[in-house]
Amino acid sequence: MKNLGRLFYYVATLLATIFYLLPMYTIINVSIKDAEDLVYGPVIPARSIFLGAYLEAWRQISQPFYNSVFMTLPATVISTFLGSLSGLTFYRLKFKGSNLLFFLLILGFYIPPQAILIPLVRFISAIGLYGTIGGLILTHVSYGMPITTLLFKNYYESIPKEVLEAAEIDSGSILSIYRHVILPLSLPGFAVVSIFQFTNIWNDFLFGLVLSRGPSSQPVTVAIANLKGTTLAAWNVQMAGALIGAIPVLLFYLFATKLVIRGLMAGAVKG
Amino acid sequence: MGKKNIPYYIFLVPAFVLIGIFTYVFTGLTGYFSLLDWRSLGQPGEFIGLQNYYEFINNPIAMKALVNTVILSSLFIILTTVVGLCLAILLDIGSKAAGLFRTIFLLPLSFSFVISATMWVWMFAPNQGTINSLLRLLNLDFLTQPWITSTQQSLLCVLIVYIWQFSGFATLIYYAGIRGIPQEQLESALIDGATTLQKYVHVIIPQLKGETIGVVTILLFYALRVFDLVYLLTGGGPSLSSEVLATYMYRVTFNQNLFAYGASIGFIIFLLAIGVMVPFLYLTSGRWRR
Repeated sequence: MKNLGRLFYYVATLLATIFYLLPMYTIINVSIKDAEDLVYGPVIPARSIFLGAYLEAWRQISQPFYNSVFMTLPATVISTFLGSLSGLTFYRLKFKGSNLLFFLLILGFYIPPQAILIPLVRFISAIGLYGTIGGLILTHVSYGMPITTLLFKNYYESIPKEVLEAAEIDSGSILSIYRHVILPLSLPGFAVVSIFQFTNIWNDFLFGLVLSRGPSSQPVTVAIANLKGTTLAAWNVQMAGALIGAIPVLLFYLFATKLVIRGLMAGAVKG
Repeated sequence: MGKKNIPYYIFLVPAFVLIGIFTYVFTGLTGYFSLLDWRSLGQPGEFIGLQNYYEFINNPIAMKALVNTVILSSLFIILTTVVGLCLAILLDIGSKAAGLFRTIFLLPLSFSFVISATMWVWMFAPNQGTINSLLRLLNLDFLTQPWITSTQQSLLCVLIVYIWQFSGFATLIYYAGIRGIPQEQLESALIDGATTLQKYVHVIIPQLKGETIGVVTILLFYALRVFDLVYLLTGGGPSLSSEVLATYMYRVTFNQNLFAYGASIGFIIFLLAIGVMVPFLYLTSGRWRR
């Protein structure tokens, strides 16, 4: 009985690991195959490491990659900063209607993009930002507000209210409290929220799809999707392009795992 | 207190202007557009009441998309939660390498839908794809499937990718929950002669209610907006077999320029989301923790 359980454990772990890793094996293996080697399919390991697909993919997606950088960094910084302010208010103040406002904020987080897509495209066009990175930044900041506010409010709960009250009596100015008390105490919170936002914005596809126009404003996700559906011979290029686009977020997952996990848990453990 | 708190209220202004306009005003506009006659590029036409909604109800494609959305979203939540819990239990049993496996299970979450879709299109490709190639190499040809090229299997394929992408997140939350259960409780269960299976079923799983609510809360966010993987993997096909409301809305709006009809689909998606979330948030508020 005991051995049977053990066997079941190993088989289940093995199958789960294969299920999780096989797509990643496929993408890496295919991306380093040259045209001749591709004939042998995605499963048989590459005979040698061929980087031509990466060069070709980079040639096609380098501009969108930079677009994504110039979109994601400002949008992350702005939405994190604004969230740290509104989160502070929700943490500190209970006022008439604050519960209702907070509820509307959470509910806003859940409203699917299809419900706002048509007015969004019209609005962004009307203010002259259609097909620009600025339009995408504004959009990402706006739809990032609920989650950054929520994450900061939850983060601040770990700061004792007395610290804040004492600081208010000492210095009076809330801006200086923000700078000298809140900011230093919440640096880990800023790291967690920025990584969370960076991931969301970098990985977004739908807003990029409807608000960008051509290579000058297209984010890398949209450019990778366009690499798709060319010829079979070029599927190493697709895979290489997808991997290049995955790198920035992957780096966070591999080298800042703890901060990533804190962000993911913060959203789930307490809503 | 009054005057001193003014800066705090100012801190709220950006959040509420942005959320107010981009979420609530825009949703209202979508509702308004859905009542108009607006079927081409250019300005919206006249008021036609609920005609777009009648069209929706009487359109078999729309109904198919609605049914597919409900099936995909609910199976996604249920199965991702169950798979995530099972993986967390596996991690807990073999806790020596738990950190490594947790990272492996979590990696898919780092990929954008575009990247997952690129991987899985080639996993599922019937001739050259990884799964069928592997089955042929293992002489299991009879197990090969048409996958995303089949009207029977396309929605299932999308579901598999959603589970692959998000179950590691559920695992993360459940594993932290299991690890947080006091050791004495587990030991006393073992002293009472409980087997490993009984330990999980009777002692551990009943204590994970808070984690389940947390996991479902986040999965709902993704379930209510299923679009990307469907659009990228199958485009709603073949023969509309995997069409969901969001891909249908995108197609009629941005490919066919039926803006008002698209707005009515968008508004129906909004009503579905509100119909699920308002009761859910009401029932779970204040009960996030065990």
